[in-house]
Amino acid sequence: MYRTLHLNKALALAIAAACFLAATVYEAARADLAYELVLSVFATRFLGIFVEAVPFLLLGSLTSGFIEAYLRSEEMLRWLPRSRLGGALGGAFLGLVFPVCECGVVPVARRLFRKGMPLSMGLTFLLSAPFMNPIVFASTYIAFGFGTIFVARVFITVLVAAAVGWLIGSLSNPETVLKPMPAQEHRHEHHKPVSFRGKGLRALQIAAEEFFEMGRFLIMGAAIAALMQTIIAQDSLLELGTGSVLSVLFMQILAFILSVCSTVDSFLALAFVNTFTTGAIVSFLSFGPMVDIKSTMMFAGVFRRRIVLYLVLLPFAFNLVAGVFINLALGY
Amino acid sequence: MKDRPRKAAPAPRSTWLAPLILLGMGGYLCLLLLTGNINHYINERFAWLAALAALLFAVLGLVALRSRLQAAAHSEPIQTSWDSLLICSLPLLLGIFIPSRALGIEAINGGISLSPVGVSSAASFTRDPLDRNILDWLREFDRALSPAAFDGTAADVVGFVYREPSYPEDTFMLSRFTMSCCVADAFPVGMPVQVAGAGSYAAGEWLRVGGGLQARDFDGQRMPVLVADTVEPVPQPAQPYLYP
Repeated sequence: MYRTLHLNKALALAIAAACFLAATVYEAARADLAYELVLSVFATRFLGIFVEAVPFLLLGSLTSGFIEAYLRSEEMLRWLPRSRLGGALGGAFLGLVFPVCECGVVPVARRLFRKGMPLSMGLTFLLSAPFMNPIVFASTYIAFGFGTIFVARVFITVLVAAAVGWLIGSLSNPETVLKPMPAQEHRHEHHKPVSFRGKGLRALQIAAEEFFEMGRFLIMGAAIAALMQTIIAQDSLLELGTGSVLSVLFMQILAFILSVCSTVDSFLALAFVNTFTTGAIVSFLSFGPMVDIKSTMMFAGVFRRRIVLYLVLLPFAFNLVAGVFINLALGY
Repeated sequence: MKDRPRKAAPAPRSTWLAPLILLGMGGYLCLLLLTGNINHYINERFAWLAALAALLFAVLGLVALRSRLQAAAHSEPIQTSWDSLLICSLPLLLGIFIPSRALGIEAINGGISLSPVGVSSAASFTRDPLDRNILDWLREFDRALSPAAFDGTAADVVGFVYREPSYPEDTFMLSRFTMSCCVADAFPVGMPVQVAGAGSYAAGEWLRVGGGLQARDFDGQRMPVLVADTVEPVPQPAQPYLYP
């Protein structure tokens, strides 16, 4: 059985490589470019996303390592709200305690689940923390000031994340949501170091393992995003972006494809302020940090397939409604 | 599902690979910072993040190395699956084997924007006209009341040549990529340049163009066009992108 598991993974990787080759060869033929040039454009885009995102993944891995080494489950559970709704609302503000962005939040959320955090709270944290933290507050404030967009971004992020967390949390239990934890963590249980220094070393060692565990999803996500950008013309999306509904829809698709880190997406959104409706900008800013190509890949490493689908589609739908509401009802 | 045995019994080789990849990534980021090639990938104001990542990679790499060296004695080495190692070495392989390049003309995927990107900082408007770059000019054009407002104003800009079949024979677009954060959001902008023998400049060639602005019809629209007096080939700037 484990042999077939290995074979399946090898097969999946081989298929991915073949698809990549086909797509780049096709693009070279379509754009009439030498193959090396297409590959070089892809490599630049891929490494750009990777270099920008990897510091945040490392910080997330470290946070996860330190939570594992220092935070005791019983202590944490004592402080958490008991009710599901309270958990969901509390989870929306947990990013203020664990300031992580979308590349770092997945390992941290996974670790918190393992420590016994309730589903609704953890899921809300997962979706909201990439925006609801001091660093991204600052970057949004620098880009837009304290106005409609800032307030709407906070409001919609909390509302959508809490709704999704509460919904999935009440309909499922952890066993049907989470993938089984890798054996690595059982292994560590056997000889827990007690000294402060020993714990620190253990935290770093877990962080290194976490980097490989989560890094592969980030890297595959970055590769897919870079490939999409290399073969899909950005302005073909932009041209479609007019109208109260379509503009929101396309900005959300753009946020998904671009997979820009939440710490800097405000500066990117500035580029679209003149072309797009306010609802579309707000949806771009609230949906992007929750879900994009690379975070979807990372979700797939933690949650079962059905839940990954919910975690992508529900925020997409809720943010779409919120963005269209801003455009139509509030008349921006 | 039960525990996965592949985690419990990894190939011994893979545990050497883990510290190697971590230290390699740190080294690669240091190399990017030292050569200045980091400017090909991210906005320079985020370079400190890459330095931070290099430091963290070094720390994690050393911890992984230490745990591997002491593995025989007592502690357990870092364990990773082979597919993680394979995928995580991809950035290193691409970084090492494909020469580092900034996005250029090949990356333009369907047209160039003639409108400015991002909000204008007050500084760009008080700048001396001869110091304005292409993005500064596009912002000026955007807030001007008429395309003729700049007639006769001198300009001096650097960019690469871009051409579409619909352009008149004596005109090309002098272009730059703008970048807010990293190449994921790079966006090509440009201003039209009119010069005799425009066709002799190769697409993608970096030029410094000096001249005066004149309102002309270009691509079915009346807009300021840079009528060139001097055109001089230059190497690609150390910072190939414009930062909005």
